[in-house]
Amino acid sequence: MKFIFTLAMKNLARYKRRTAITAIAIAFGLMMYLIVDSMLLGIEQESMRNLIWYETSSVRIHQKGYWPDRLLFPLEEGIENPDKVIDLLKKEGWTATERTLFKADMILYSDDFGEDGSLSAMVTGIDPEMDNEVFHFEDTLVEGRMLEKGESNGMIMGSWLAADIGAKVGYWVTLVTRGNGGFFEAIDAQIVGIVNCPNPNVNRTLIMMDKDTAGMVLGMDGAVTEIDIALPNRSDVDVEVMRIQASLDAHGLNDLEARSWRELAKDYLAIAEAKRGGTGVILFLVFIIAAVGISNTMLMAMYERTRELGMMRALGMKDNDIRLSFIIEAGGIGLLGSVVGIALGALANIYIANVGIDFGFLMRDMDIGYRIQSIMRGTWNLRSFIITFVSGITLSMIVSVIPIRRSLKMDIPSCLRHQ
Amino acid sequence: MIKIENVSRNYKTGETVVKALKKVSLEIADGDFLSIAGPSGSGKTTLLNLIGCIDALDEGEISINGEKVTTMGKKGMTEFRRNNLGFIFQTYNLIPVLSAYENVAFVLSILNVSEEETKKRTMAILKEVGLEGMENRRPGKLSGGQQQRVAIARALIKNPQIVLADEPTANLDSKTGEEILRLMKTMNEKYKTTFIFSTHDQMVMDYASRLVLLHDGTIISDERRNG
Repeated sequence: MKFIFTLAMKNLARYKRRTAITAIAIAFGLMMYLIVDSMLLGIEQESMRNLIWYETSSVRIHQKGYWPDRLLFPLEEGIENPDKVIDLLKKEGWTATERTLFKADMILYSDDFGEDGSLSAMVTGIDPEMDNEVFHFEDTLVEGRMLEKGESNGMIMGSWLAADIGAKVGYWVTLVTRGNGGFFEAIDAQIVGIVNCPNPNVNRTLIMMDKDTAGMVLGMDGAVTEIDIALPNRSDVDVEVMRIQASLDAHGLNDLEARSWRELAKDYLAIAEAKRGGTGVILFLVFIIAAVGISNTMLMAMYERTRELGMMRALGMKDNDIRLSFIIEAGGIGLLGSVVGIALGALANIYIANVGIDFGFLMRDMDIGYRIQSIMRGTWNLRSFIITFVSGITLSMIVSVIPIRRSLKMDIPSCLRHQ
Repeated sequence: MIKIENVSRNYKTGETVVKALKKVSLEIADGDFLSIAGPSGSGKTTLLNLIGCIDALDEGEISINGEKVTTMGKKGMTEFRRNNLGFIFQTYNLIPVLSAYENVAFVLSILNVSEEETKKRTMAILKEVGLEGMENRRPGKLSGGQQQRVAIARALIKNPQIVLADEPTANLDSKTGEEILRLMKTMNEKYKTTFIFSTHDQMVMDYASRLVLLHDGTIISDERRNG
């Protein structure tokens, strides 16, 4: 065994340039895999965080019947006694806030905007005191101020939306909407703050105003369309949803239903899942690079050493031992490639995880599903590094078996005659 | 004792069948220093390969010390070669990445001999073939004669019953060739190992104690000599 190992290691150094080229090809493939894996995982983690922090919260409560019609913004399916629910959740240890979501036409005036116009908008009525306990908009304020409790004419806008329509703090708009029951109502509102929300989907459309003002205008009689709940990090959201639902049911609030952010963001998760499949494709490409490189190297090695092979077999060395020697040699090339690949991948990942790559130019005008506005950062995934390292070596060993088998099929006199 | 009875071996090259050996029969006694001579294509190497259990015959039977090698099967033949046969090749066939020591010692490693014993025996045989002090040199740093000495040491280190040498001096100048032959003769006398050569070199024939001449796959003469 010691001889087989020694022979394999010495043969590894026999054709240094060829070994190096093959190892570099493997290293490059593994590094690419690590970079892509790190980026995808980092983007996915940050997307999920931005989704929860700015879009869905961890768990949301609706009146039964709201969810199927949610795209129509059914105000009549509101939660009638939100304070009772909030108190209950608070007692059970959950942090929650009320929100009312409604559609409106936003009228822009030439006095502020240079020309008259209108656009369709989605407005969220928030509780300025509690919203930041669940969502994180306060940290994203770039201009003006946040809303105050009971503020009747204030409005917060996402920076991309503001940029798109040329809005600035202090500008006035009129929101024309239909209240609960179908009547038309108009609200004059002044932009008091602009937030640069890291979630591009939100930043592109965000308009927030005080929920009490919104409720009054919409004729909600104290009702809200949703209650959003924040969960501590690492909570099992599905378990928490079940607990919340049980608590609601136990207190006679069984006309309400709780949903996890996973359910609320089903479309996003489906896209993320599909993109994760892309990692599999890259792994397959790495496999092809490694397979072709190693297979070719081993084929050449076997071809050049056919006479040696014949000699070893003539002297009584078992085919299995010869095979093992070549497999160890291939594993050695894989090991070199994996070590270099891991090192390069780690170096690249230091940059990717800490500095990241700015895709802002792409995300500004294009919705690719991810909830990241500009800089996409990778993350450290030890599992990926281990899998990559082991795969580099294992794949190299596996693909070397084919050329070895071919050479061992040759009879000994032919091996010895080989030029 | 090697007993070859009515052995035939045919090779197919495309549609043509080449009869390399035609019903050859031969008995080789233990300790013989036998040379199989003949022109190119006479069947010398084929006969050597059949005795060395690295080729399969088409007809006849070969037995070595009463063991029929023709019925051993691939694994059995490998084991038989490992334990009983030594080989010396025209082109030495040393492993270039290994030192002279490692090239010789590897034969014992495949026989699972202990490291200590391997070292003792390898150093002794290298000294015997005149390579003391050159143990760590790789084949590329050795002359043709020195490389063939390593090959002889490799063939003899396991004390085989039989050493088969295919044109062992063909790649050497006459002076070095003679040194190698003298060395093999010494080993033959010292260890009573049977040496079988294939050659068309007159000097090798002169050293042989028995000369078998082949022509077109048939033995045309078999004579004892005072080699």
